Amino acid sequence: MRTMPIRPFLPPYLLERIAGSRNARQRDRAYRTLHDDQGFRARAGAAELPEGSARRGEPVRHVHSAGHTRELPGERVRSEGEEASGDPAVDEAYQGLGATYALYWEAFQRHSLDDRGMALLATVHYGEDYENAFWDGRQMVFGDGDGELFNRFTIALDIIAHELTHGVIQHEAALVYADQAGALNESLADVFGSLVKQHRLGQDVESADWLIGAGLFTDRVEGQALRSMAAPGTAYDDPLLGRDPQPGHMRDFVETQDDNGGVHINSGIPNRAFHHAAMALGGHAWEEAGQVWYDTLVDERLARNSDFVAFAELTLDNAGRRFGTDGEVRRAVHEAWRAVGVLS
Amino acid sequence: MNADDGAPRLTRASVLRLSREGGVAHMPGLARPRRIRCDRCSEAQRAELQALLDEAARYGERQVPGADRRLLHLGVEDGSETPVWSLTVAEDSVSDSLLRWWRLALSEPFSADESGPA
Repeated sequence: MRTMPIRPFLPPYLLERIAGSRNARQRDRAYRTLHDDQGFRARAGAAELPEGSARRGEPVRHVHSAGHTRELPGERVRSEGEEASGDPAVDEAYQGLGATYALYWEAFQRHSLDDRGMALLATVHYGEDYENAFWDGRQMVFGDGDGELFNRFTIALDIIAHELTHGVIQHEAALVYADQAGALNESLADVFGSLVKQHRLGQDVESADWLIGAGLFTDRVEGQALRSMAAPGTAYDDPLLGRDPQPGHMRDFVETQDDNGGVHINSGIPNRAFHHAAMALGGHAWEEAGQVWYDTLVDERLARNSDFVAFAELTLDNAGRRFGTDGEVRRAVHEAWRAVGVLS
Repeated sequence: MNADDGAPRLTRASVLRLSREGGVAHMPGLARPRRIRCDRCSEAQRAELQALLDEAARYGERQVPGADRRLLHLGVEDGSETPVWSLTVAEDSVSDSLLRWWRLALSEPFSADESGPA
């Protein structure tokens, strides 16, 4: 009888864990693997990324089509200032890049993903029936969906902004994509994804739907979106997809090896904390709660392997610094983290 | 044996397990493993699966940057459901044909005279 392979695959989250371990030899090897891989990609990306925007407040966008292959970036279809292409996926991606740039610039005076005008790149029509969207370390990639369960992924503005926010995180805290740090990474992508949508639509906290990925499911799916920030665990319950696995409180925290240690699962907890804070403060969520979360995202004290408590404590500190230590904002943020069981 | 040694030879008793993990959301129903029983495949289909596994094994297990990317777990079991080999690869690195098999693995069995999904 043959045995299982003795060298298991080490997904990035496990490498990240080992890189943070106390075993010096393992740590060095893991760091080298991660560093070599990222360094190689960084060099390749630097050579290919188009010129960015030299004018603060003005984005540079490029949308490509992979033509249903998996070649990146594919053929350029629409660049900054060009007329609409007539292809919904291309034009949605172009508009989504612009809406994301607009929130970060108008609310936080951030000039693109790196705050230095980095060109915004998206590729649509990726793969065949590809039902996903991802950030590859330098650009966004969107599939057309399979048409049975999923529509095209550019249909949801918050998903476009979610992927771009992974780029912002990469240039700031670079949160490890595993466990609680990974769930914070995912939650921040959801928070700013939702804020981009609310900002674009001019919504206040009461009129926002607080859903992530509304419109992605076809009519055949029993569900309204990929996630619910207001009520994690309630976004879908479908015979094929299963049931939304997100918890909304620390007592229901999911310990798992799947999904890089539950990054898309436990992100429900900080998502709900943000929703809680925003609802308590009212008005436009990007003006107070969003500002506190942004200040924390770019805070140099936010470590790559931060857990929920570390992040929550930094939000309190930033709320106090910007809005006053005895102010309503800090109180609302504190109460939000209490409500989800992260702080006492 | 080691994943670096290449994929094992598929026999009629082999069962191929496929599962996808990751993506912009974790959906339990889509993350469940799917099985392809080689005794329900034609010789041509089994040869195609063998070629796809060999190709994935040649590419090997590499790290991928970014976020929301998907991984594909491949596993082979012998006739007694004992795992004999496994490999995890970035979904982007495997052939579209393997993903088509993953999609169709729900609708098993394949009859011997059916054409494969590729």
